[in-house]
This record gives sequence, C-alpha cells and structure tokens, in this order.
Amino acid sequence: MRYYVRLFVFFMGLLTMAQEKGPTISLELHEVPLREALEKVAEVSGFDFFYIDEWLEASTISGSYRNAPVDQILEDILKNTVLNFYITDSQQVVLTRNSIIYDQLPADFFGRQEEQTVAQVRNAPILLNEVRSLSGPSIETIRIGKERSNTTAARFTLSGYATNTVTGRPISEMAIVVRDRNIGTATDENGYYELQLPLGMNILESSALGIEPTVKKVIIYNNGTYDYDLGESLEMLDEVVLEGDRNRNVEQAVTGITTFEVENIKNIPLVLGERDILKAALTLPGISTAGEGSAGYNVRGGATDQNLILLDDAVIYNPAHFFGIFSALNPFTTGTVNIYKGSIPADYGGRLSSVFDITTKDANTQKFSGEASIGPVTSNLMLESPIIKDKSALIVGGRATYSDWILQSLDEESLQNSKASFYDVVAKYNHAINANNDIKATAYFSKDIFSITSDSVFDYSNRLFSLKWNHKFNDGNTGSLLLSNSEYRFNIDYDGDSNNDFDLGYKVNETEFKLKLKKILNDSHTLDYGLSGKLYLVSPGNIDPQGSESQVSPLSIPQEKGLESALFISDSYNLSDKWSVNAGIRYSLYASLGRSEQRIYEEGVPKNDGSFQETREYGNNEVVETYGGPEFRLSTRYFIAPELSIKAGYNNTYQYIHTLSSNTTVSPTDTWKLSDINIKPQEARQYSLGLFKNIDGNTYELSLEGYYKQSKNILDYKVGAQLLLNEEIETEVLQGDGKAYGVELLIKKNEGRLNGWLGYTYSRAFIKLDSEFPEETVNNGAYFPANYDKPHDISVVANYKFTKRMSVSANFVYQTGRPVTYPIGQYEYENAQYVYYSDRNRYRIPDYYRLDLSFNMEGNHKIKKFAHSFWNFSIYNVLGRNNPYSVFFVTDNGSLKAYQSSIFSIPVPTLTYNFKF
Amino acid sequence: MIICNGYGYVPQVFGRLVRFLFVALFIGCVEEFTPRTLEFGSALVIEATLTDQLGPQTIFLSRTYPFEEEGPEAESGAQVTVVDEGSVEHSFGETEPGTYVSVGDFAAEVGHTYRLSVRTSDGREYSSSAEALSGTGGMDALYAERLTDDQGREGIGIFVDAYDATASSRQYRYRYEETYKVVAPDYNRTDLIADPDGGCEPLKAPRRESDGETCYASAGSNSIILTNTNGLAEDRVERFMVRFIPMDNYIISYRYSILVRQYVQSDAAYGYYETLRDFSGSESLFSETQPGFLSGNVFSTANGEERVLGYFGVSAASGRRLFLNYDDFFPGEPLPPYVDPCDEIAFQLELIGGGCNLLTLIEADLVRYKRDSDLGPSRPYFTVPRVCGDCTVLGSKETPEFWIE
Repeated sequence: MRYYVRLFVFFMGLLTMAQEKGPTISLELHEVPLREALEKVAEVSGFDFFYIDEWLEASTISGSYRNAPVDQILEDILKNTVLNFYITDSQQVVLTRNSIIYDQLPADFFGRQEEQTVAQVRNAPILLNEVRSLSGPSIETIRIGKERSNTTAARFTLSGYATNTVTGRPISEMAIVVRDRNIGTATDENGYYELQLPLGMNILESSALGIEPTVKKVIIYNNGTYDYDLGESLEMLDEVVLEGDRNRNVEQAVTGITTFEVENIKNIPLVLGERDILKAALTLPGISTAGEGSAGYNVRGGATDQNLILLDDAVIYNPAHFFGIFSALNPFTTGTVNIYKGSIPADYGGRLSSVFDITTKDANTQKFSGEASIGPVTSNLMLESPIIKDKSALIVGGRATYSDWILQSLDEESLQNSKASFYDVVAKYNHAINANNDIKATAYFSKDIFSITSDSVFDYSNRLFSLKWNHKFNDGNTGSLLLSNSEYRFNIDYDGDSNNDFDLGYKVNETEFKLKLKKILNDSHTLDYGLSGKLYLVSPGNIDPQGSESQVSPLSIPQEKGLESALFISDSYNLSDKWSVNAGIRYSLYASLGRSEQRIYEEGVPKNDGSFQETREYGNNEVVETYGGPEFRLSTRYFIAPELSIKAGYNNTYQYIHTLSSNTTVSPTDTWKLSDINIKPQEARQYSLGLFKNIDGNTYELSLEGYYKQSKNILDYKVGAQLLLNEEIETEVLQGDGKAYGVELLIKKNEGRLNGWLGYTYSRAFIKLDSEFPEETVNNGAYFPANYDKPHDISVVANYKFTKRMSVSANFVYQTGRPVTYPIGQYEYENAQYVYYSDRNRYRIPDYYRLDLSFNMEGNHKIKKFAHSFWNFSIYNVLGRNNPYSVFFVTDNGSLKAYQSSIFSIPVPTLTYNFKF
Repeated sequence: MIICNGYGYVPQVFGRLVRFLFVALFIGCVEEFTPRTLEFGSALVIEATLTDQLGPQTIFLSRTYPFEEEGPEAESGAQVTVVDEGSVEHSFGETEPGTYVSVGDFAAEVGHTYRLSVRTSDGREYSSSAEALSGTGGMDALYAERLTDDQGREGIGIFVDAYDATASSRQYRYRYEETYKVVAPDYNRTDLIADPDGGCEPLKAPRRESDGETCYASAGSNSIILTNTNGLAEDRVERFMVRFIPMDNYIISYRYSILVRQYVQSDAAYGYYETLRDFSGSESLFSETQPGFLSGNVFSTANGEERVLGYFGVSAASGRRLFLNYDDFFPGEPLPPYVDPCDEIAFQLELIGGGCNLLTLIEADLVRYKRDSDLGPSRPYFTVPRVCGDCTVLGSKETPEFWIE
C-alpha cells in the first residue's frame, strides 16, 4: 500500500455523528490489531475504507457486535483513537485524523505554506482558500472589553474556547489567523486559544477541518474572552489526490526502473500525430533503438530480442506497426508502463535485458466515457462503459490507418498497386466480484498488411489474451492467478509469373500460467512467491504452392515445442528506516520437447554437413534437452539523507527463445527460435549502482546510475546466413559473448510551468565471436561494437505551460551514430563491381540529432463539461536534419552505387485533434 | 511530395517490400553518394569457373581497388595451376594481364576433384578447396516472349527451361552474352578534318575508313542470375526469365542475339553467389542485411587471416543461342529510340576568349558532320555526337562468326 496506492478520496470533513447508513452487520473481534479490525469491518460490510496505514495505532480491539449498524461499530472501535470517520453515500468510509491529514498531503499541494510567527499554527490553507467564497458577505462584529481613554498597552489578550455545536465537543487545532497581520494561533486539545491583538479592529479568520470557517471583526479595547461555537461544514471536494509514490524515486529499493503514466506524455511532440508510449520511453536513459525506423528496443546494451514486452501480463512479440514507425499500443487504453532495465522482479523471467510491463487502464465502472483522436495517418477511438455499475466495466480501443487510401490517391504510378495498412484493437474487462476477488480479462489483436508489387502480399499479426484473478485470502495474504496466451505470425503470399507461387507462414504461440502470492509477514518483511509455466509452440515456417501451376513442393519445418517453468520467491525487507533490501531468487527450468528430430554434430568443430553425425528422433513430449539455473534478483537501498539514497543491484537472467535475424536492425521477417540441443540459452549478469536524490518533495528528481553487464551465448549469424525455412539453422548460428556498461543521468522537474527532463547516457555494448575456426570468427575474435552501440545519448523533453490550456513542448535528441560495416575497397567479378567488406562495425554513420516541437491547446477545463478537446500541432525534425540511417552499396547493371538512407529527413508537421467525453 | 533522387536500383523481392513506405509517407529518402575509401585493403580476387566443356579454361586474377580509382589492377605474373585428383596438373598461361588460359584444352569430369593453386609474383601462395563437378543438367530451351513486367514496362523476356531427370542439379546460375546490330542514324559520306594550314575552321573530307554504319555490339551479363528447384517436386526449371529488355531499349532495334550459359552449382557455390547477390542488391529502408566479409573457397595457404575474394567453381555448363527481331514482337510499332538523341549543334568556330572550339571537339573525336549550317560563317556546320554518325563507338563492324541474318 505504501508504495503504490494512490488514494482518490472523496472526502468531506470529519466526524462521526452517527447517521444511520448502511446495513447492520455482525462481527466478533478478539484482541485484533486496529487495522485488522477495520479490514474485518470492510470485509463484512462491503464498504471501502480509506485511510493511511500510519494512523493506525498498535492497540488491539476486542468486541462483539450483533446486527449492529456499521457506524456504531466504527464508533466503538475508534473510540480510543484520535480517528474519526465519515460514511459517504457510496458506501465509502473515510477515516480522518484532522490535524494530521495535512501532513499526508504534499507540503505545497494547495499553495504556499506560510510560517506564522506568533504562534505555531497548523496552517490549513486548503479550507481557507476553499471556504472564502462560502462564508457570507456580511461579517459579524464583536467588541471586546471596555474602551478606556488612557490605555498604554499596545496589545490585549483575547482567549476562549471553540466548541462544535453539533457534538458539543471542543474543536482542537482550529487555526485562528488575523488578516493582514502576522498573528495567529491554534486551539489546543480542549479547544482553548489565546491571542495577543493590537488595539482596535482585527479581522479574525478561523478554520478547522470539517468546521465551518468564520471571519469576524474583533474590535478589542481590553483583555477579554470570546468563545467560538461552530457548526460543521461538509464540503465535498471534487477530488484530492494523495500521492503515495511521491518518494518512489529515492525510496524504492529496486534499481533501474522507469515508470510513467501515459497521461503524462500527451504533450511530447508526436510523429505523424501518434501519441506513442514506447517512443516516449526512448527519451529516457538506457532505452534506445538502432534508428528511427527500426522496430525493437535496446535496453542497457541488450539486443532487441532480450525484452519481455507485456501487455496485461501477456507477451507482445512485435509491438510495432509500419516497421517500427509507430508502436502497436493504443495510447488511449494504456494506463501505466513500468520498464525494468536493472533489477527485474523475480516473478518475471525469460528475457535477458528488460521487462516492459504495460497495463491497460481499468474501465470506468461509474459512467460511460470515451476518447477519440483524428490524425493524419490514423484515427483512434476508445470507449469505456460500466456493465454492472460500480462492479464491472469494459474498455475497448481501436485504431486504424487510412494509408491505403493515401496510397491510392497519390499520383505516383509505382505506388498504385501498393497496399499498406494496419490496425489494432484492444478490450479489457474488469469485474470486482467482492472486496476480496476481482477479475481482469484482456484481448488484443494487431495486424499489418503490405503489398508493394502486384505479386506479393506480406502481413503480420499479434494476438493475445490474458485473464487474471486477484484474490485476497486474508490480511497480509493476497494472490493472483494468471492465464495468458499470445501468438505472433507473419505470412508472405507470392504470386508471380513463373511456376514458383507460394504462401509462406511463420507462427509462434505461447501459453503461460502463473500463480503469484504475496504475504506481508510483518512491518519489515513482505514476501512475493509463486510459480509459472510457459508452453511455447513455434511453427518455424511452412511453404505451400499457390495455384495449380505452381511447382513449389510444400515444405514445413517441424514444430518446436518448449516448456519454461519457474519457481520464484522474493523478500522485501526493511532492515531499518534507512536500509531496505529486496532479495529474490527465481529458478527457471527449460525443457525442449519433442516431437522433434535433432541433428547431432561432432563436438568442437563448426557445425556443417561435414561434421554432421546423426539425427536423433524424439517422441511427442519427450524431453530433448533441459537447461536452467538459479536467477538472482538482488537490490538494496540505503538513505544517506532523507531525500538522498544509494541503491545497488545484481541480476542474472536466462533466455530460451531467440530472434533469428541476419539484418543489422529488426526486420518483420525475423523469426523466433527455441533453444534445443544445438542452440544454448542466452545468459546475462548485470551489476548496477545508483544515486537518487529528490529536491523539494519530488519537484526535482535526480538519478545517476551505472551498470555493467556480461552476457553469454548471444546469437549471431554467419555472413549471408539464410534463416527463413532453414532446416539446419544451427549451421548458420554463432553464439558469442557480450559485454555492456554505461552511466545514466536523469534530471527531472515534475512541477511548475516549465517541466520535463534531461537524460544523458554514456553506454557501450560489445560482442565477441571467437573460435579457433575462421568461419566462426568475426573481427578476429576480438570484442567489437554491437549494431546498436551508441556511446553518447542525450535527450531533453521540456514542456512549458503558458496557461492551463496552452503549452509548448520540445524534444531534443542527440546520439552518436550507430556502427556500420563499411567497405575497405571494391573489386570486379564477372563483369560487375562489388564491395570488399572487412571488419564488422568498424565505422559509424554520422551523429544523429533531432528537434521536435509541439504546441498543445486544451479546451475548457471545467471538470464537469461534457467533452474535453485537445489540439496538438507537432513538427517532427524541425531542423530538417537529414539523419543517415544506413549506408549501403548496390550493384546496379554491374556498376557499384553507394546509397545513404534516412527517414524523416525533412520537418514533418502534423495536426491532431483529440477529444474526451 | 519529397523524394530524394537515386533509388532507381533494381529491387529484390523482399527488399521491395519496404521501399514504398517513405515514398508513401513523404518522409524518408535514399540518396546516392560518392563513397570515399576510409582505409584501403588490398586483396586478391580470383574468378574461376571450370566447366565440363572441352576447351580452353580461363581464370581471371585481379586485385581490389579503392573507390577513387577507375578499375581494378590485374594480378600479373602469377603461376596458375589446376590439379586434377591431386595428380594431373593443368597449367595456365597469362594471355593478357590478369587473364590466364589453360595451356591445353581440357574438361572437368564427373567424379574428379579439382584444386586451384595460385602463386603470385610476390611469392604468396593461394589455394582453393577441392571441388567436384556438381550435377549434369543441361538447358532444354531458350525462348523469348513479349510481356509486361512487374513495373508495368512492356518488353521482351528471355526465358530458360531446363530439366534434370536425375534431380541432381537443382541449383543453377546463368550468364549471358548478348550481341546486337546497331545502325548509326547519321552515318554520313562527309567528315570534318583539321585544316593542315592551321586555323580554327575545319575542312570537309570524305568519310574516314574506320567509321561504320552497321555494327555489332556485345555486352555480358553483369548481375548474378540464380534459380533453384530445391522446393520443387521435379528438378525442372520452367519459364525462368534470365533477361528482360524493355521495348524502349535500342539494343533490340534491328537484330538481337543472346547466348545464355547455364552453370549447375554446388550448394556452397550457390550459397556464395546468392549471398553476394543479396549483399549487392537493393536494401530495404528499414532493415539492412548484416554485411561482412564473404568467404568463398579460396584462401591463402600461409596466412589464414589474409582475405581472398572470389570462388573457384567446377560446373556442368551448357549454352544456347537465340536470335530475334524487333518486328517479330512489335510489328508495326516504331523502333526504340537510338542510344543518343542525336541533337544537331552548330558549334562556334572560336571560343569567345580565343582558341578553337569546333576543332577541339573534332580533334578529340567527339563529333561527326551532319550538314552545312545557315547560321553564318562563325558556325558553318551542324554536327552530332560521334555515336550518331559512327557505330564503332558501340561495337565492331565485323559480323561475328556466329551471326545469322
């Protein structure tokens, strides 16, 4: 609760006054802690309780209630505490501790905090501000003392008691402030106050939580008394946000985690009008791509296949549209994104570098609402609606492009036959069965279709389902059960002139079952534990003849099957106020399963036809090979000062499924391959250390993190490897070592007119492919920079609000150019010129930089307005920088030509209209 | 719409998949640039294909060269031998720089393995792995058809059919040599020569002997043409297009002939050529094949790290020749435009700053006389580019031996 809970409290003053609300319940309490007692009440009554853990004292409660109204029980339970409660109409119980509540709100949440000089005043600006308009225009005038003509004293004492008219109880900690004078005090626990007032007229303002505020003219002539007898004020505030994770930057024990809310990225300049969560992640240190148009993310020097990208706990294999220009996640339905790039929690596994944990918003169970956008390339619509009010709701989002239409209307003959379109749909259903059980179900589908010439059509799609049941066993024991299934596939249809028309398909499907339990042992230990099992089914490819004339003989590479299971446990342990540790271990076990034919090669020599020995047959579900090992997930935090902490982490991971790609960047025809006898799992170890600092609450957040990562059995390929439909893929695969290290600096300003962040990363990523055989060696077996090695990476995202409705944003990126393999000469062969390549990645393309600007205008801000509109005008690449993306050489008609490609080489303006209702 | 120039390279099937995107979205571009050599590496290039056709066998040796240079340097003075089954040595002699021809005729035989060895003039030794003749399949048919290609261009496709009943060939590489008749449109009786008495005005003279009106030009294939029957039930190549000539190409204007040679490839050789082709083919904007040094089957015997380029292949070869006339395919349609638009220009005799103008062009042999001009004495003659008046720029006046009218 402490870390993650954000309480949206609809609250309204304090106090009790037993109104007859809600049902009567029966309950037995025997020497239970207060919290447990409250939870019991909540459980039995079905009411939601809102409070802060720290309020609950250690005292224990006993009592027996039979058909008693809830308010009566609460009154009894709370009678020995400083807590009061209020029950709202919507069966919510708000506990208040009037004077302390303000301590839980951010110090400057409602405005300035003024120190009073005369007396220590618990300032309560919220109600002061809030109520001014409520108090009537006429001000009562009170005269104190008898005026004497020869008085010499400059100040007189005014004292008295404040009493609640309704309850007759004293009002404690009521602020009494003299307007325009630096004088003020607060009532003590008996409601008593004392003030020194200058002679003459003073305007006294009083305020206390839940009490009707007053303004009185006090004309003082001599010492005297005045008693306040005040009624309650029940003013329903629209909403007050209690930020539970305000200090997460410094407090969280986990290192290398990045979290953001989709709502917060809406001002970042857009590419072609698409608000893009994953693109926004790229502005943060440690996450990068090989280039603008490249799908796939490189996290802390990891390859693109090393990220576990989860949407509501189910894997998305290819979260990209248009080869990576857009991400395939609907920004309207997406809620939060957690990116674990350092310490990965023990319940996640199976990928080396990171976890992108993307959560779809829970649908609104209160009312029907929606959001829509119209942009130059796509339109997007999201709708959410309660199914059973307050219990269950459905959110549905859909996005589609009209690029097909654009292509058709272009006056470009070569494009007339082209087709390019994509869409994605997502739906999530959430159902709160009761206080202890809720269910969430998500379904998602995305598809891209391309056809560039009349003879081939290419498409790929992602589909996933997930079902999650959260259950609360009792206090301190909760659990969730998850079932998910994902499928990624692509297909190529070729229909040419000759006898080789074909239809080629690839598919990977995985089903995961996961049980995750949480046990709060005591204040200092929280255990997370559970188990998971994941079944992979890969259809590495099949090719079928198309049409009766096709002579293509059908070929199907046999299905691969693998089972990845894991047991995990982690303890979040607070050793002291300053020191906390998160220690986890995950034991993962992978079994490659039949039915399968495995080719066995001679040991210690390159795998090829010459070293091939035999083929071994395995029956259905027979274990072909197992791999596995313990994975440690350790991290710790120590507070050096209240807003300064140091964190360290160690992490090791295994990965049993790998991308096969002979390209320098991600290509949509990349396939995934499971580990088997010949392909070993990839392994990685990461050490990280970081310093975290908050200034002024979390107005500024600073972090400096360093990491060192080693990896093993990283997959690479022989030059010119043919990977698609290859039955002997192991003869093309090289497995080598990787190492990466870096320093990441992030400075964030979260509040104020100007907000945003600056990230700088220095990082390196290297690969080594060494062997005693030249055909398995790259760059003589030395470490060489990986394709995504970009040492310097600076991003600045800044947003300046002119008014509440208008803002401008800028996004600046600078990166070292990525490595390329550049020829060291050319040669002639059979009448044609070719280039002579030598060492891999020895050169770099020129540095990359880009500035984007956007101007945002929001409609009227009235909360209760029917629809909110939002205009965004963005210019991508304002400087028109022609950033080279790749350099390549083509032999055209026998002569060599060199080309440089770039994407978005000119400023791209777009206008998008969004509205919410 | 903003598109950079210069993406007119020939796309491959998969590369093409992505090229449209930047055009479609007006966002990306591919630009040609002149590459610089950042660091030059010199290496030996061996081009050698032994065939099962009895005759002189030829091997070419050259070296890599920097981008800044025009062409390769031949590797001269090397000792080249091919060893048959480790016993019989076939030695080669250098007929012209870098071209080594077997001293006697011989043919690769089924069941034998062959190894190439090269000793360069600086004493370095190179060798190939032992290669055997793969497959025996021959070409069954070579034919031409009028068609419209993928990009909507009309033209003539040259097709090959082949069949190997033993299904042992499977992988094929093709090379061709095309020869075509060209007729210079402005072939003229009159020529211009420098005035032996000096001055900038040239004199008219009878046409020089060497000029030609009808010539025969030849060009070899300059791309890697491969096909395979691996996925097919039969080892049958059917309607495989080795060459497409758009109907606006001048080479088919009169009579055209093509000799297509088919080489059966071993798995390794086929893989080598396929990779070389992929490396040098079109790139997709979004994903680039990982380039690297492509090792063939030739290497340095002394230094394993020295890189040697090229491939020593031993193939069953077969060839067929085809003749065709434009009229047979496009009856009644206008001939394709000549290779040059042949604009006539009356050059000034003298440059404004002094010095001869037309005469300089004549002495450099760049123009031919077309007709007298009426533009006054400073521009007395209309001329055309030499290729319009003399076809020997393109080919030879000699009718080739194989030519059949």
